[in-house]
Amino acid sequence: MTDLLEVRDLTRTFGGLRAVNGLSFHVGEGETVGLIGPNGAGKTTVFNLIMNELRPDSGEIFFKGEAISRYPTHERVKLGIARTYQVPRPFAEMTVGENIRVGMLPDNLWKMVTEEAEEALETEIGRSVGFNNHQIAQRPSELAMGDLRRLELARTLAVQPSLLLLDEVFAGLTLGEIDQISELLVERKKHGLTYVMVSHDLRSMAPLVDRVIAISFGEIITEGTFNEVVNNKTVQEAYLGQ
Amino acid sequence: MWLLGQLRWWLLFALGMSLLPLFISPGTLRIFIFANFLAMFAMSWDILSGRTGYISFGHPFLIGIAGYTTAMLTYHLNWPLYITIPTAVVTTMIGGTLFFLPALRIRGTYFALVTLAFMELMYHSMQVVQPKLTGGTRGLSGLPTLVSGAVPNYYLSFLVMFAIGVGLWLLIRTRLGIALSAIRMDEDAVRSSGLNTTRLKLFAFMVSAMVAGIAGALYTHYLGSIAPRGIFEINFLFTILVAALLGGAGTIIGPIIGAYFLTFLLELLRPYIPGAGRYLIYGVIALVLYYYVPKGLYSLFERLRERFFRPRPDPQSD
Repeated sequence: MTDLLEVRDLTRTFGGLRAVNGLSFHVGEGETVGLIGPNGAGKTTVFNLIMNELRPDSGEIFFKGEAISRYPTHERVKLGIARTYQVPRPFAEMTVGENIRVGMLPDNLWKMVTEEAEEALETEIGRSVGFNNHQIAQRPSELAMGDLRRLELARTLAVQPSLLLLDEVFAGLTLGEIDQISELLVERKKHGLTYVMVSHDLRSMAPLVDRVIAISFGEIITEGTFNEVVNNKTVQEAYLGQ
Repeated sequence: MWLLGQLRWWLLFALGMSLLPLFISPGTLRIFIFANFLAMFAMSWDILSGRTGYISFGHPFLIGIAGYTTAMLTYHLNWPLYITIPTAVVTTMIGGTLFFLPALRIRGTYFALVTLAFMELMYHSMQVVQPKLTGGTRGLSGLPTLVSGAVPNYYLSFLVMFAIGVGLWLLIRTRLGIALSAIRMDEDAVRSSGLNTTRLKLFAFMVSAMVAGIAGALYTHYLGSIAPRGIFEINFLFTILVAALLGGAGTIIGPIIGAYFLTFLLELLRPYIPGAGRYLIYGVIALVLYYYVPKGLYSLFERLRERFFRPRPDPQSD
């Protein structure tokens, strides 16, 4: 399996705290990886570093074999990395359709002005995550948490990523909503989407990932299949604080 | 045909305004001229601050660059206006960008404060640096005018304001308008959608500076004079901001409505409350409006339009 993403010796400190400490891992093309760890383990920080929303103190990130550490966020997205946020961040004054439109915008001022919005494609993306036409015309304030997560996912899928970073996609969702999102991810996985998923909901994560990486205090404790990792004594101690 | 359909309200507005000199006195027309200029200033502010949420307190700085450039070129070098005005617009765009570019990397209150600092800097610079060139505290007067008389000045100011208004309105209706609005709502999420927000903000700023440049240069030649106290005054800045916010920020039409409303409100209050007292009344009215119509007067028009001109639902859509 060719590496799509490679993180090499990544370190980031906040004052005296080493949130990410010499972290190295890789994600193969078409692979789905779970990133788990107790609160404050550095999972979201890793995503922020991959997206350049935070700058690392040291370390390198490679995407499709290319060193991207110097690339700004929007360039990384254009290369094919996209992320969702732990707390959904929709554009509050826009409809669901317009939110998706932002994800589809070309990074070219001339094209933005001269080319029409592809409304049919917007609707198609919206429908692919389970929205109906009525919901596509609604604003985020009218949506439930599960819908907001789906909107986040739709906007992220609109940039046509080859690697998706999913941050706590199941947080705050009902069991029915979790099933909907899971089905969607299984479907995308079948179509070859690579993703790295951060979640505290290990049971929901289990069928969705090929491999799990467990981290604590910004360092890898262990990695392997889901069962291997959750049964690992060090992982259990890290979670339970023993 | 599609464009005409989109522009029907604008065309109606233009028709009404073009007939106005037939019915009203030159004195009232002069109030309209000021309203037209205020509308241009407010739209200039709106395309940057109303759309992207980067609140600029430095627009008088941009207006001042344009005003002083054209004033100095005509006053000292006797250059014709058809050269000095475009030169002033280009200078505003370049000069403004050089100063504002670093500021576009900071956000929120800091951006607003930095732009305010530029205005103050310009205010003091114009008085002490090369006063022979700038006219110092008294500024420059006796500048040539483009046209004379209330009616020609009214048509000129309206035509330019109208062209700017339609141009900006069409621009914000494209996907670029969506991108700029998205920056106001969550800039990080826009970046995470693969868009270079610095370039978008810079574009919005350049357009804003261009409009401020055009309006500033024409305003200077309408008045026939320029002085630092008139341009770089906090009241002038607030009038621009209040016009845009009162009318409805981020909408382009809102600032035009706000500019007309504000100018006429101040004029109507003049006979009853002379001097600065009327600013108190206008402040109270502005506060009441903000409280009850926080999205500006334009939102009232939108509500009326939706109520009476709502498009019929398409039976084909599900």
